Amino acid sequence: MKRILVACGNGIATSTVVATKIRNYLADKGIQADTNQTRLTEVPGKVEGYDLLVTTGEFSGDRKGVPYVKGMSLLTGIGADKTLQEIADLLSD
Amino acid sequence: MKYIMDGFNWLMAAGPTVMLPVIITVIGLVFGLKITHSFKSGLTLGIGFAGIKLILDFMTTNVGPAAKAMVERTGVHLTALDVGWGSIAAVTWASPIIAILVFAILIVNIILLILKRTNTLDVDIWNYHHMAIVGVMVYFVTKNVLLGVGASLVMALITFKMSDWSQPMVEKFFGIPGVSLPTVSALSSLVIAWPLNWLLDRIPFLRNSKFSIRDAQKYLGFFGDSMIMGLIIGMVIGALAGYNLTAVLQLGVSMAAVLVLIPKMTSLFMEGLMPISEAAQTWSQKRFKGRKLFIGLDAAVVVGNQDVITTALIIIPLTIAMALVLPGNQVLPFADLAVVPFRVAMVVALTNGNLLKNIIIGLVVTASLLWCGSSTAPVLTKLAKSVGIKVGSNSLLISSFAATSMIQSWLVYMAFTWNPIIMVPVLLVAFAAIWYFFDGVKKVNAGAQGDDGAAA
Repeated sequence: MKRILVACGNGIATSTVVATKIRNYLADKGIQADTNQTRLTEVPGKVEGYDLLVTTGEFSGDRKGVPYVKGMSLLTGIGADKTLQEIADLLSD
Repeated sequence: MKYIMDGFNWLMAAGPTVMLPVIITVIGLVFGLKITHSFKSGLTLGIGFAGIKLILDFMTTNVGPAAKAMVERTGVHLTALDVGWGSIAAVTWASPIIAILVFAILIVNIILLILKRTNTLDVDIWNYHHMAIVGVMVYFVTKNVLLGVGASLVMALITFKMSDWSQPMVEKFFGIPGVSLPTVSALSSLVIAWPLNWLLDRIPFLRNSKFSIRDAQKYLGFFGDSMIMGLIIGMVIGALAGYNLTAVLQLGVSMAAVLVLIPKMTSLFMEGLMPISEAAQTWSQKRFKGRKLFIGLDAAVVVGNQDVITTALIIIPLTIAMALVLPGNQVLPFADLAVVPFRVAMVVALTNGNLLKNIIIGLVVTASLLWCGSSTAPVLTKLAKSVGIKVGSNSLLISSFAATSMIQSWLVYMAFTWNPIIMVPVLLVAFAAIWYFFDGVKKVNAGAQGDDGAAA
């Protein structure tokens, strides 16, 4: 089971959208993954031990070496397929 | 007609946990969702409301007596507890007129798009709550549906235009092309920031300031962590209330629990509304195919910026200090300290990351939040009670940094409740003048494709 941390400004709105889309996509691909949501300011304190970090916007804080994908395309729909593919690739390594 | 009214009254009397699933199911069906999907959406919102209610009861029964004891012991007159924007959003979605308001806001967006008077496509139904709450409060005070709907229409008009006008600086500063941010909780600060920034730029020392604080996140980072902040604030309130050590610790953990649990409940609202937003997005992108539009996103996508976080981490402790000394303030800052980054995000983009100006403008915005919040806390409290939220005894009021605590919403609310016959036209004329300034004189969106350039 892969663990993904999805972060946005308040850990509620856009992270719910992105987390749901990632879960649905990975389920279709047969990749077992669990998502947790948090606020961007809490990422450095929480991210350790996750397999992937996805943020809905810009993030330049400490990621503790966890792989990172920008998820804004999943909100606008533009380039969403590429981003989802990237996420799947990172998780299947 | 009588049967419809009877049915409606019965629904009202049953309360939000019953009304929300029914109303959201209907909204979902209108957007073309399948009945099973839209019913699940509605039920999710009803569950979210039940959850918020539970947490609010827990919060007010814990912090209410403590806040009262603190006021009596210290003379610090902070009687309006900040219950957070999520709680206010829940109250908004529980309003009997919410369905009308959602469609009214959407229609304003579509009409402006067809008339090419905006480039922002805003189908983020979730964030409509910021525009809807003003209508909900106006309706609650005046009992006049038309005034309520009118207030939300004006909120929507102002919001879409402000998000157009701020789009170039959002694109430049945050580096996100093709996107605008029609999120009132971030945009509203611009009402103060635009003129104030112009004024501050007259002072060369401020205009050219390179002041920066390194490692703000390292030293102030705990202000960005909800559970730690809740713990500390709870313990301080307990200590000021004269509680013994056990009770101080209990209050601390309870308040930490509130700050961690409220977002979990609020996210149910988001989850429930997501299929509806998606249906609206599919529909509108088909309708406006071929036209280059700014996709309206939640401002959550920009608050991760380093300059925004640094500014917010400095403003948060200053907000608590200001609440104590600001004359006339009654708001006890708590749950919405977590969303200070939203209130300063646009300010940071406007000043291009000038930290000194960000702090000055940020503090003025904070003062406005506290004052407007204090002034409308009594109405908000009555509204919350009317949808079944127990605010507790102790004559405790509730407030937040959302709803009419924000200057844009406060101005519209006041215009519609305080002599609307005179003030609404005054507001509209003033806004038309600003519109002319941005679109006609400065031509901020002139470069945007699909725009007539000088639209006014």
